[in-house]
Amino acid sequence: MRGCRAVALSLLSLVGIPAAAGAAVDPGKATAPRMEFAAPPPGSYTLQMIQRVSDAVLLDSTGRTVRLSALTRGKITLLTFFYTYCVDPLGCPFAHTTLADLRDRVRADRSLSGRVRFVSVSLDPTHDTPAIVARYAEEFTIDPKFEWRFLTAGRVPQLLPVLDDFGQDVSVDVDENGRATRTLHHMLKMFLIDPHGEVREIYSLAFLQPQVMFNDIKTLALAADPAAPRPRS
Amino acid sequence: MQIKRRLILSCGVAAIMSIAAIASYADETCNSPYMSGLIKGQEDFVHVWTLGVPGMGDGSDKLVTIDANPASKTYGKVIHKLSVGGRGEAHHMGFTDDRKYLWAGGLDDSKIYVFDVGTNPAHPKLVKTIDDLPAKTGYAGPHTFYALPGRMLIGSLSNTADKGGVTGLSSYNNKGGFIAKYDMPTATIKQVKGDGYGYDVAVNPAKNALLTTSFAGWNNYMRDLGEVVKDPEAMKHFGNTMVLWNLKTMQPEQIFAVPGAPLEIRWALPEGNDWAITATALTSKLWLVKRDAQGRWQAKDVATIGDPAKIPLPVDISITADAKGLWVNTFMDGTTHYFDLTDPEHPQQTYSKHTGSQVNMVSQSWDGRRVYITSSLLSKWDKQGKDNEQFLRAFHWDGHELTPAFEVDFAKEQLGRPHHMKFTANSPQRVASLEDASGR
Repeated sequence: MRGCRAVALSLLSLVGIPAAAGAAVDPGKATAPRMEFAAPPPGSYTLQMIQRVSDAVLLDSTGRTVRLSALTRGKITLLTFFYTYCVDPLGCPFAHTTLADLRDRVRADRSLSGRVRFVSVSLDPTHDTPAIVARYAEEFTIDPKFEWRFLTAGRVPQLLPVLDDFGQDVSVDVDENGRATRTLHHMLKMFLIDPHGEVREIYSLAFLQPQVMFNDIKTLALAADPAAPRPRS
Repeated sequence: MQIKRRLILSCGVAAIMSIAAIASYADETCNSPYMSGLIKGQEDFVHVWTLGVPGMGDGSDKLVTIDANPASKTYGKVIHKLSVGGRGEAHHMGFTDDRKYLWAGGLDDSKIYVFDVGTNPAHPKLVKTIDDLPAKTGYAGPHTFYALPGRMLIGSLSNTADKGGVTGLSSYNNKGGFIAKYDMPTATIKQVKGDGYGYDVAVNPAKNALLTTSFAGWNNYMRDLGEVVKDPEAMKHFGNTMVLWNLKTMQPEQIFAVPGAPLEIRWALPEGNDWAITATALTSKLWLVKRDAQGRWQAKDVATIGDPAKIPLPVDISITADAKGLWVNTFMDGTTHYFDLTDPEHPQQTYSKHTGSQVNMVSQSWDGRRVYITSSLLSKWDKQGKDNEQFLRAFHWDGHELTPAFEVDFAKEQLGRPHHMKFTANSPQRVASLEDASGR
C-alpha cells in the first residue's frame, strides 16, 4: 500500500487538507459487469435524450487548447474520465480495456468508419500534464484512422465545470497530516453522445457491456442515416 | 502469479480505488444497485420523509434527520428538520447514483423535492423543487425514485385525467430535467392484460430486466381507508399485475397476474440468483418472480404473511444483503415478520414481533444488525385515536430477537407522520473534494 502511494507525487499531495471526522461509508466490493441477456438489436429502440453537453476549454495531448464542443459534435462520441496512475482493476484500466474492445468492433464495421470517436479526460490535471497524457495514450491510439483523443485541463478550476456538467463525482484521500494523496475516488461512468452533442446513454460499471454499447453506437448511427429503418418508438 | 495478483489488488483496491457502481449484492436499505457509497458499517443518520399534520408543528411535510450513530452524543435524537413549506402527502425517497442527492415525492401535490445530503448529511438542504411531472407526463403521485446512471427513474401511482390508477414511468436527468415517459401497459401481452397501474420499480442490470408493481390511484390512496374498503367499486381499482420490462428498450415484455396490489420489489442481486420477490398488500402473500427451467420468467405466490383473512396489510419489505432473509411489516396488526429466504420457493417465517399499533416502513442496515421501523402509511389510511402512534423505532437484531435501540415520538415532537427512511454517513475519514485538494 505504501509502495503504491510512493510511486510518484502529484501536485495534489502538496496541499494540506483538514481530515474529516467519522467514517462509515464502505465503497464495497466492485465486480465486473455481468451480462445474462441478448443485447437488443441496433435500431430496435430509441436512446433517451438525457442532457446536452456544455462547452469547455481543455488541453489535448500536444498541449493545444481544444473546445470540448468540437470533440462532442459531428461524430458519435464515447467520453470517459480517467487518471493515468489509476490501477484499480475495475477502474480506469477496465474502462480503457472496454473502450479498446469497442474500438476494435467499430473498426471492423465499415458503416461506422469515421463516424465514431472516443474522448478520455483526465481527472487530475495537476499530475496529468499533456506530455504524461500523451505517453499514456500511446497504448490506445494505435490506429491513426480511429479518433481517440486524450484531454486534460490546464488547472483544476478549468476541469470542475466539466465534472459538474457531466455529474462526475471525484474526491481525494488525504493522509494523517491532512495532505492530499494520490488516491482518487470516482464513480466510473462513460457517456455516449450523439453528433448533436446530446448525451444519449450513461454507463456505470454494471452497464459496461461491450455488445450493448456497440449496439447503442449502431443505433445512433442508424438514426443519423436517413435510409435506415426507424426504431419502434 | 498469485503473489503478483495480490500485490495488484493491494495497491489497486485498498490504496487507489475508483469507486464503481456496486452490482454484486443487494442494497443496505433497498437502494438502487447502481448507487455508489453503500454504507456497510454504521450509518450516521436516518432521514425520514415525514407527512405534515395540520396543527402539528408547522404542519408541513419535512425531512427529519435523526442521529443514528451510538458513538454520538445526540444518538437517537432529531438533529435537523427541514420543512418544504406545504403539505403534499410526503411518501417515498430515493438517492441519485452518486448518493449526494435525495429525491422525495408528494403523492398529493406531485411535487418532487431534491435535497442535498452529500455536502453535510447532518444538515440536508433543499436545492430544487420539480413541479412539472404532471404537465410533462400526465402522471400524478410520484412514488418510487430509482437511480440509474446520471438520471432517476420515477414510478408514479396515478394520473391527472381521472386520478385513477392508470399511470406510468418517467425519467429525469440528475439536474432535474425531464427526459421521457413510458405508459404502464394496458394491452394484452402473452395472454395477460395489463391494468396500467404502477407502484415500485426495480432493476437487475445483469439481466437487462426492470420489474414494476401496481397499487392504486389518487382516488383511493387519498380517501379514507374505511370508506375505500366498504366501497365495492373502489375495491376494484387496485393493481393486480407486475410487468417485466426490457430495460434497454423500455418496452414491456411480460405481464404477470399478481392479485391484491403487489408493492415493493426486491431483486436477489448476489451472483447466481435469478429471482425477485414482492408482497401483495390486499391478499397478504409473498410472490416470487423467477426464471423456470426453460428460462421463462414466471410469477407465483410462495408464502402467506399472517392470516390473509384478517387483511394484515403487508406494506413494506426489506431483503438482507445476501438475499437469505426478508423483513415484512404488516400495518393493521403492527407486526414485524422475518422470513427465511434460503429457499425462495418456500419462504419460512422464523420470527415475528408486535412493534407498534401500526407499522409501515422497515429498513435494515447492510450488515443486518439494525432494523428501523416507521408508523405511517398514508394520511388517510393511518389509524385513529390512540392507535395513531407516530414513531420511528430502531432495533438491534442478533438473528434471534429485535431489541429496542431508540425511539423518536413524532407526535410528541410535533413533527408529523414518519414514512420513508434513508441512511447517510459522514464523509469517509480523510477525504477531500478535488477542488479543496487542489488548493483552490
